[in-house]
Amino acid sequence: MILVLSRVCASFHDEGKRSSCVLKDISFSIPTGSFVSLIGPSGAGKSTLTRIILDLMPHTSGTIVRNFSRPAMVFQNYALFPWLTALQNVAFGLKMDGMPRAEREKIAREKLQEVGLEHFESHYPAALSGGQRQRVGLARALAISPDLLIMDEPFSNLDTITAEALKADLLKIWRAYGMTIFMVNHLIPDAIELSDQVLVMSARPGRIQETIAINLTRPRDTRSERFFKEVDYLTEIIRNVS
Amino acid sequence: MIRSVTHLQSGAWHRAHLIRHKRAWLIMACVVIVMSLLAASGYFSGVDWLLLGNAVLHTTYRLAIAYGIALALGISIALLVGWSPFSDTLFPFFDILQNIPSFALIPLFIYFFGYTSQMIILFAVSSILWPILFAVLTAIKNAHRDLSDAATIFGARGLRRIQYYLAPLSFPAMLTGSIVGIAIGWESVIGAEIIVNSITGFGTFISSASMSGVNHATTAGILVILVIVFVINRIVWAPLLSESAKRYAE
Repeated sequence: MILVLSRVCASFHDEGKRSSCVLKDISFSIPTGSFVSLIGPSGAGKSTLTRIILDLMPHTSGTIVRNFSRPAMVFQNYALFPWLTALQNVAFGLKMDGMPRAEREKIAREKLQEVGLEHFESHYPAALSGGQRQRVGLARALAISPDLLIMDEPFSNLDTITAEALKADLLKIWRAYGMTIFMVNHLIPDAIELSDQVLVMSARPGRIQETIAINLTRPRDTRSERFFKEVDYLTEIIRNVS
Repeated sequence: MIRSVTHLQSGAWHRAHLIRHKRAWLIMACVVIVMSLLAASGYFSGVDWLLLGNAVLHTTYRLAIAYGIALALGISIALLVGWSPFSDTLFPFFDILQNIPSFALIPLFIYFFGYTSQMIILFAVSSILWPILFAVLTAIKNAHRDLSDAATIFGARGLRRIQYYLAPLSFPAMLTGSIVGIAIGWESVIGAEIIVNSITGFGTFISSASMSGVNHATTAGILVILVIVFVINRIVWAPLLSESAKRYAE
């Protein structure tokens, strides 16, 4: 297992200094090399959970076993550094590792090529479309050869065509790299199409209500009867927990 | 007096600023034409241009030094406070400090440094510092959380966070803070020179010209300062704002 959470709770103090419980008794584990999706209603604490997993914020109680050493993240709002070009953004993590310029730029160019943006290396993020920015974000994550890739609603700001293309590329990259992917999502068909396992969260406080294994064979036919049955089943579960 | 600037990191702000610069060219062309006409009509015949040039040079020199010190100090403090876990605690403290009127503190500066050029420079530093400090600090505090998380995840931790994340993040804010700071700096340096009144400088020049009734010299001095401010804007700030708008546009 690359990640194990056991009875993790998180609370915050609001402006009135009252403590409110955001996550309660979160327990799940993620097998190494798997693709796991986390879905749930808005405000369930999905993004908070990813930040706790990455140790960007503390949890109140419970245990987290992190068996990963190089996590990376792809953000819903891309989170590219606007003062850096696409190439410099992709090379950022390698620069922080102290890698020489020529070497890190070579790797960054390879990653940009992998996501189909080889001709955009000198563009600043402002000059790129939403889909292109998300691809740069993905290339930046891949550049550091992560063992765990966390994606926080990576398709939610993209149009359908761009999101479909990026999903196909993501599956190719996942197979090629053999890394573990933990994706926060709110689209049920996406979660079923991509994942080995889907965690269903409820809100206020955020809890894991169900863990569902997706046993459809890959590549998945998103128009098959079995696929629609899985979508219906998951939709019903989410309706019950909301 | 504007003492602090809430930094807007949008491209729209920068574009609007660039349009204002184009308008400034027109106004400046009018000023130059008026100056030429006045000079041709003999209005400035009694003006000691050498004395005025020397005075403006001294004032500009003091302002440049004060700005350099304030920039280094303001950015350093803002980056260290923004980087530290105590930024939320320290922010209100600076907010109170920046609300103290600079000229209310001038007796303190005179007490410690006397009626000297150093006093004028340090007094100007105390005025220029706040817009820069607050602009940079506000930019750091208002940065999108995801951007901050991305910097952490991809390795910009510890002191490297200042160099590779906080400093470039706050560059547009440093520019806007500097523009406001320099404007306040002119006021402070000239005002302090008028108060000291026994030192070479533009403040002393217009003060003595006004008192002795040589209004032509005062007019000439004001027009010269206008031209200098305009030239600095065109040569320094406009290209930097243009580059900033290109890089930092949303």
